[in-house]
Amino acid sequence: MDELIFIQQDVLPSLMRGLKISLLLIIPSGVCGLAIGVLVGALRVYGNRWVKAVTNVYVVIFRGFPLVVQLFIWYFGLPHIGIYLSPYVAAVVGFALCSGAYHSEYVRGAFHSIKRGQRLAAQAIGFTTFGMITHIIFPQAFRRALPGCGNELIYLIKYSSLAYMITCIELTGEGKVIASETFKYTEIFFIVGFIYLMLTSVASFFLRRLENSLRLPGFDHYGL
Amino acid sequence: MDRVNDVLRVENLAKKYGQKEVLKDASLSVKHGEIKVLIGPSGAGKSTLLQCINVLVTPDHGRIWLEGREILHTKKKELHEYRQKVGMIFQDFNLFDHLTALGNVEIGLVRVKKMNKQEARERAVAELDRVGLKDHIAKYPAQLSGGQKQRVSIARALAMDPRVMLLDEPTSALDPELISEVLAVIRALGEEGMTMIIATHQIGFASDLASEIIFMEDGVIVEAGPPAKILSQAECARTREFCAKLTSLY
Repeated sequence: MDELIFIQQDVLPSLMRGLKISLLLIIPSGVCGLAIGVLVGALRVYGNRWVKAVTNVYVVIFRGFPLVVQLFIWYFGLPHIGIYLSPYVAAVVGFALCSGAYHSEYVRGAFHSIKRGQRLAAQAIGFTTFGMITHIIFPQAFRRALPGCGNELIYLIKYSSLAYMITCIELTGEGKVIASETFKYTEIFFIVGFIYLMLTSVASFFLRRLENSLRLPGFDHYGL
Repeated sequence: MDRVNDVLRVENLAKKYGQKEVLKDASLSVKHGEIKVLIGPSGAGKSTLLQCINVLVTPDHGRIWLEGREILHTKKKELHEYRQKVGMIFQDFNLFDHLTALGNVEIGLVRVKKMNKQEARERAVAELDRVGLKDHIAKYPAQLSGGQKQRVSIARALAMDPRVMLLDEPTSALDPELISEVLAVIRALGEEGMTMIIATHQIGFASDLASEIIFMEDGVIVEAGPPAKILSQAECARTREFCAKLTSLY
């Protein structure tokens, strides 16, 4: 009984406060990350030599550095050159840029999977390159990239927990604070884990619904 | 050199891939309502010639005139406008896979010609009706037969009001039974006076319809002339040999 009262009165309110911060981290990072990923993915396919080189370097760095190291650079490193970011802003910037690098891989693969004939047909009726990408190639590529990008969003939900490392106290951070006060690590982190599981389940549900609503007859069934 | 009366004229188009010359100084012209048929073995350069004509493949050199005006295809705006006036039909249809038959015909009108939606829809329905597909406008490419797909692609090209149509082996990817429905549509276009350049192996159809047959091999236009002459009394031995084989097959 005591346990339940303790959880209701002390644990849940803090965790809910943390959950709110987590959502405030995840949603803008997810949206910006996807936008960066689509843009960078497109540039890596359709850009000129220099644009390709610059965007490839971006992806190599942001996929190659551990995320926590990136966050440390944004939060602890930048002040040395006079740029001060709040823990929250540093976390969102770090998540969005890292997520964007991963998204761009899925998007690039999806762009490459669109047959050359689609491009030729669009050019043949007078589309500009930009019009062809936005109206013909992207609507198809987006459908192909969606499962991968969805996966990246699920990852983002979980790696948002790294924000507490740069003192942005979100769900995991709140959990750690109460756990160290009460020494009830097992119970509290089990609840924290369960809340992340709920978040990823809800995200998966909506991603699946989105995939289904975008499904077209005969597109991407690969003969199944 | 009657550049004024030609709908389309190309001179000395050439294309090299690495060391391989796939098109060597090809020149041809079509007048209004004429139908020129390109024949020749695979790899002869027929596709490359057609794709160089509307600059889907950038020719290494050569000049292009449409309705007496030279097209400077290095200028993007000019190129995009030129391509709207040159309809292209591909061997494997290349319908936009994410759009219905109607969407495929409509999108060029709305996005390229900036026509309003209502007008574009009416025009697209009319073009699909013209190729006998009024009952299939809501279907996606995967739900159409090969012949129907090719007819949608013809409707898509026609909607742009092309001055000339280029058809790159329009029936080569089709089952024998579906070939005739596509040929009927092309024949009807010819009868309506559409100017066309067609690469095909359908020699019977070609000899009925063509104003001139052009035989190509190894990237070179070997010989051109009226169907009767090319098919039975060609000057070049290689043309005679090729035509004899085609005639016995098709």
